[in-house]
Amino acid sequence: MTVTTASPGIERELSDIVGAANCIVDPGELRTYECDGLTGTRVRPRVVVLPATTEETAAVVRVARRYGLPIVPRGAGTGLSGGALPVAGCIVIGLSRMKRILAIDLENQRMRVQPGVINLDVSRAIAADGYYYAPDPSSQSICSIGGNIAENSGGAHCLKYGFTVNHVVGATIVTAEGEIVELGSAGADPLGYDLMAVLVGSEGLVGIVTEAVVRILRTPEATRTFFATFPSTDEAGACVSGIVAAGIVPAAVEMMDRLAIEAIVKATGVDWPLDVGAALLIDVDGTAAEADHTATRAVEIAQLSGALEVRTPRDARERQLMWKGRKSAFAAVGRISPNYYVQDGVIPRSEIGPVLREIAAAGARAGLRVANVFHAGDGNLHPLVLFDARVEGEEHAAEQVAGEILKICVRHGGSITGEHGVGADKAAYMGEIFNEADLETMNFVRCAFDPAVAFNPGKVFPTPRLCGDRPGTYVAHETEIAGTAGRG
Amino acid sequence: MTSQADDLRERLAPASVDEAAAMVRERAESGATFAFAGGGTESALGYEPERVDALLETTRLDRVVEYAPSDMVVSVEAGMTLAALQTTLAPQRQRLALDPALPERATIGGLLATNAFGPLRTRYGTLRDLIVGITIVRADGTLARGGGKVVKNVAGFDLPKLMVGSLGSLGLIVRATFRLHPMPERERWYEAGGLTAEGVRALCRSLIARRLEPAAVFARLEPGGSHYALAVLFEGFETGVDAQGASWLESANAAGAQIVDAGPEGVRIAAGAAHPRGPVRIRISVPPAAFVETHRDAVLPLGDCFEAECVAYPTTGTFLLGGFVRDGAGSRAVATIAAARAACEALGGSLVVADMDAALRGSVDPYGTLPQSFPIMRRLKERFDPERRFNRGRFLGRL
Repeated sequence: MTVTTASPGIERELSDIVGAANCIVDPGELRTYECDGLTGTRVRPRVVVLPATTEETAAVVRVARRYGLPIVPRGAGTGLSGGALPVAGCIVIGLSRMKRILAIDLENQRMRVQPGVINLDVSRAIAADGYYYAPDPSSQSICSIGGNIAENSGGAHCLKYGFTVNHVVGATIVTAEGEIVELGSAGADPLGYDLMAVLVGSEGLVGIVTEAVVRILRTPEATRTFFATFPSTDEAGACVSGIVAAGIVPAAVEMMDRLAIEAIVKATGVDWPLDVGAALLIDVDGTAAEADHTATRAVEIAQLSGALEVRTPRDARERQLMWKGRKSAFAAVGRISPNYYVQDGVIPRSEIGPVLREIAAAGARAGLRVANVFHAGDGNLHPLVLFDARVEGEEHAAEQVAGEILKICVRHGGSITGEHGVGADKAAYMGEIFNEADLETMNFVRCAFDPAVAFNPGKVFPTPRLCGDRPGTYVAHETEIAGTAGRG
Repeated sequence: MTSQADDLRERLAPASVDEAAAMVRERAESGATFAFAGGGTESALGYEPERVDALLETTRLDRVVEYAPSDMVVSVEAGMTLAALQTTLAPQRQRLALDPALPERATIGGLLATNAFGPLRTRYGTLRDLIVGITIVRADGTLARGGGKVVKNVAGFDLPKLMVGSLGSLGLIVRATFRLHPMPERERWYEAGGLTAEGVRALCRSLIARRLEPAAVFARLEPGGSHYALAVLFEGFETGVDAQGASWLESANAAGAQIVDAGPEGVRIAAGAAHPRGPVRIRISVPPAAFVETHRDAVLPLGDCFEAECVAYPTTGTFLLGGFVRDGAGSRAVATIAAARAACEALGGSLVVADMDAALRGSVDPYGTLPQSFPIMRRLKERFDPERRFNRGRFLGRL
């Protein structure tokens, strides 16, 4: 790709599209956009543009392409893998001003929203009608739908309800050519290739989402929550396996180890016991009779698995407190350690016990503590590697441990990311789970959307990859050659 | 498909994934074109392929690659039939939550390529919601993988879902990994007959209003063509199923519908009735709230022309028709399909003719209006299969 040198003409053209106030070039203001939730790496963009409409976004993309600028789309900036990390000389297109809910269609259980709408605000807009939007990343009060689509965000409740890809059914995107294209359809089965499946989780590489159609669900009649403590993560892991083996699909199964519990108690003041090895926070939901039955069974299984104590919230407020404890875990760990590195890996659910022991050993070898708070039901680990950046070498050691954790996950048949995405942070680890042919095939997908690699370069793929010309010559249909039919 | 038979030079039946890749690779140089066959249950979907030099049959790729019951994940080769897979899973009281037509014949690869489904999609979605990993043979004979064998995974582009419904036009599916669901402790079907389209829609609304969670809902058009019988399946643990059934009976009685508890036996009967077959088969997809309009503007006119069974999945907005052209209606069939399709497209949906008899083939387009995103689809095909070796001309837009 060619990056032309700075020319004031670019800024003027961009200002003409979005207005000077939404075209940021001041170095001080640009600092906000140097990184996302992955704060360790920072790159200052050349310019940040905040369009207000689909058409403005398309016009901005066309200008950027004309000047050969790399384009980095950005949502709320809460991502943890550096998916919105700028590259040198790039234009960041921030979607934060596009935060309107455009249409609510309860009859078809769909909503059309702009990408800057905050995840939780989708559910809030329909709560009074008894509906909600299922994907619930822990950052749901600050992360936006556009970013959720880019990362295929999960959350605690995706064990039963699926991920963003199962809940976003249509989108308006701006392509790398600056064209506006509709994906998906009003019916359940759009014609042709499943482009929505490609878009969701594409980490900003295939298009900029400027409108999204999300599926909304009826709020379950009942949710039953309980909190159980165990002597160690082994018993807690066995409990998770036991619940699943009993044919129960809980809405959420969250595990916290001793260190995570300690951090949460210190930060939030919840009255959880400190002298335990692990805790599970479990939601089952459904119709009242089903939820009551499965909750009773799950509690029995917890006790059989060696639970020290099982607590059931007396009311909605107590339930909310339990969940608040869980959702504040990442922030809470900041209270017991000056710095920490968030990892996101996946393992088969049945391997939780052994894998956590290997992770602890890896930390111990480096002289570092690792706190674990994670989605146990689907084996999605979030080890937090604690370190003190003021101590020479600790940050580097923490990074090493975090990398080793990914390799442990892969050795156990898992993945390098369950919900935070590959981004800039894990591109180097893609080779751990995919070979050259796999990556080349994924690159086919990118090149079909963005042959110039203008969107979010340097993300996902371990080494820079260009598209080149089409691999081979396309063989036209006979009617095309005869001129009796065309394509598209 | 006469032209296929004319061109066909060889039939291939690889016994392993590596052999399948080698067979494609060896013939890549010569520019040979391929078609793929599993159980042959949807072999007419799409356009007739332009040229088929080699027909590759997956039926010998029929092994379970890996089954981890405690992780509720299974990897299988593409030629395994769905029934054989379910038999493997049953002793662990697990299943792939998919109930398409002809499970004894339909193979995993074919089901994926055609995005086949049954009434269970009401609750569990389609194969795109169940697949977690895939291995394909590319048109150059290279094996490539996407996804993995854990249920939660966002590493890289979602090749598994992209392959669902791609009709073998991007790659030959040779292996796939799925998330599994527990077999329910209890299943109970309830049926209500004599419902108008408005009645079906109203009852579906009351299902939602009462926060019931059916695993399957489908409506079968009754003889006469104006009224539906609505079948609803509740499944799960006994107490929950019974409570939902009681609530459903109460709701339906209040609406004046006569509901019969079809019991466990109803499962077999109902499942058999959910997939209309016949020489002409039509698949309609519209917004669920457009049920009444679709019935009026597409199903009724088609019924005048076709002696067809019609089954609708009202909560997903899907209608399936299967049958044959009525005596003397042949001259109207093409125009009737065109008008019904126009009605569905006006509602934001589509009408796919999944199979048709010789009289219609050539006069009826299987798909209808191309989506606005079609140029992107064409570029995907160009990247994956630049020489159009795989199923040439069969997919949407004659890709």
